[in-house]
Amino acid sequence: MTFSSKFENYFYVFTDIMRAMHSSTSLQEVLQVVVTKSADVLDAQGALLRILNKETNRFDVRAACGLGENYLSKGPVTTEKLLSEPTELHEVKIITDIWHAPRVEYPQETWNEGIRMIVDVPLAIREQMTGLIRIYLPQRRQFSDDELDFIITVAEQCACIIERVQLMENQQAQFDHLAAQMDKMSSLGRMAAGIAHEINNPLAGILLYSSNMSKKVPHGGPLEEGLNIIIKETQRCKTIIQGLLEFARDREPQKVPADINAIMETALGIVENEFRLRHVGLERQLAEDMVKTLLDENQIEQVFINLLLNAVHAVSENGNVIIQTAVDPGSNKVRVEIADNGCGIAAEDIKKIFEPFYSTKAKGTGLGLAVSYGIVQNHQGDIRVLSTPGQGTRFTLEFPIRTENSDVRVNP
Amino acid sequence: MKPLNILVIDDENVICDACRLVLAEKGHGVDHCLTGTAGLRAIERGKYDVILLDMKLPDIDGTEILKRVREKTPAPCVIVMTGYSTMSNALQAMKLGAADYLAKPFTDDELITAIEKSCADLGW
Repeated sequence: MTFSSKFENYFYVFTDIMRAMHSSTSLQEVLQVVVTKSADVLDAQGALLRILNKETNRFDVRAACGLGENYLSKGPVTTEKLLSEPTELHEVKIITDIWHAPRVEYPQETWNEGIRMIVDVPLAIREQMTGLIRIYLPQRRQFSDDELDFIITVAEQCACIIERVQLMENQQAQFDHLAAQMDKMSSLGRMAAGIAHEINNPLAGILLYSSNMSKKVPHGGPLEEGLNIIIKETQRCKTIIQGLLEFARDREPQKVPADINAIMETALGIVENEFRLRHVGLERQLAEDMVKTLLDENQIEQVFINLLLNAVHAVSENGNVIIQTAVDPGSNKVRVEIADNGCGIAAEDIKKIFEPFYSTKAKGTGLGLAVSYGIVQNHQGDIRVLSTPGQGTRFTLEFPIRTENSDVRVNP
Repeated sequence: MKPLNILVIDDENVICDACRLVLAEKGHGVDHCLTGTAGLRAIERGKYDVILLDMKLPDIDGTEILKRVREKTPAPCVIVMTGYSTMSNALQAMKLGAADYLAKPFTDDELITAIEKSCADLGW
């Protein structure tokens, strides 16, 4: 092959790979083009491409060409063997002695496949090995620098595309999760309205008769006591249903420029007694440079009360709750953190805590955090939880800083 | 308080009966209807001081009945009852001229207070 035709060949191979990368939405197709072309350009017998499976920490074969079924069925390669020399992340590794190379896990099968030389090209992103292209040659030979340069360039491009596709897949998964959540919420809304009507009607009968009867039975007797229990429990049902409606209603927040510190102080005023009664310490670290942002004060107060009560119930006597507020000019957000040193949330519960009707409290309705979540979402905010069982829980809320003007529609 | 003529419009028999029991004990006269159509007919015929109106009826929407009642002179005092208790429902009913709002379930005292308060507001 002449000098110019060799480069022409590289050029065509490279354009084929780039075209596949940019036109194809399927990672599989791209990987297939990469292995086939990589093998072609080095006159190899075959090639295969492995990608790190983060769950198993093994390199799974994702694409292959020119290799027998027998060989491919050997299974994944352990990470340790491939990462034996992590300093060589961006270097091609040429194996001429397949019998004694630690990277070759199945030398006999490799030999039987007619392979006499192996070229390993790492796929690396930000100093992390994410995969590997392994090219198999039927005889030993020398490689020119430009051949190696070329194959490294292909690998670099391939690593980028893998990262991009994985990011897209992650985003899609997150979006699907959100969409499912939304769907659940809206059907729950319809169900809630139905339940409210169907249950409140019979409850109305129970409450009217029992409250009326309680006045007619002997005062202080067991009948009065029983009827009072019926009255109280019926009213409890009413509260639960109201909470459910509240949650499902998806009320549009009435936003006004508000100081989140002031809202926190109001919420603390309401729950302070609970802290005192339970001897729970309360530490305020409210930002002095707090700025106003558009919030529905009542809704946000409801969220704070909810989180504060959860915190106070999570800690035992003499526990501690720390409240912090901050302005983050970088992200243009205000942040609120409510941290306790209480019992924490078990890992299996943490995914479900924002789901309606999920409660770990004996008397909880399972609506508090679900309602809070909805309110924060309606403020384009974010609520996150970090918890270690036995050590404590920290809820972090973030709201975008909005001024009145940005929400006002300008008439032409 | 003077005895009132009260009409209860609710598709649930048990609620009509319970309201009748509570209000009759206070000396009021109570009729009831289980549908909106029957309710409107009764309003045309009879002379009621107070109407206890369920907002969710099988045939006619409560707001429609509320509007029709307001057209009458003298218009009876309407107290709305609903099982789907939200602020916006309450506000809407009040805008349409309801005197008060009872969120189901309610106690006998809440029912009596609502009626007494509404009538006092009207100077009865």
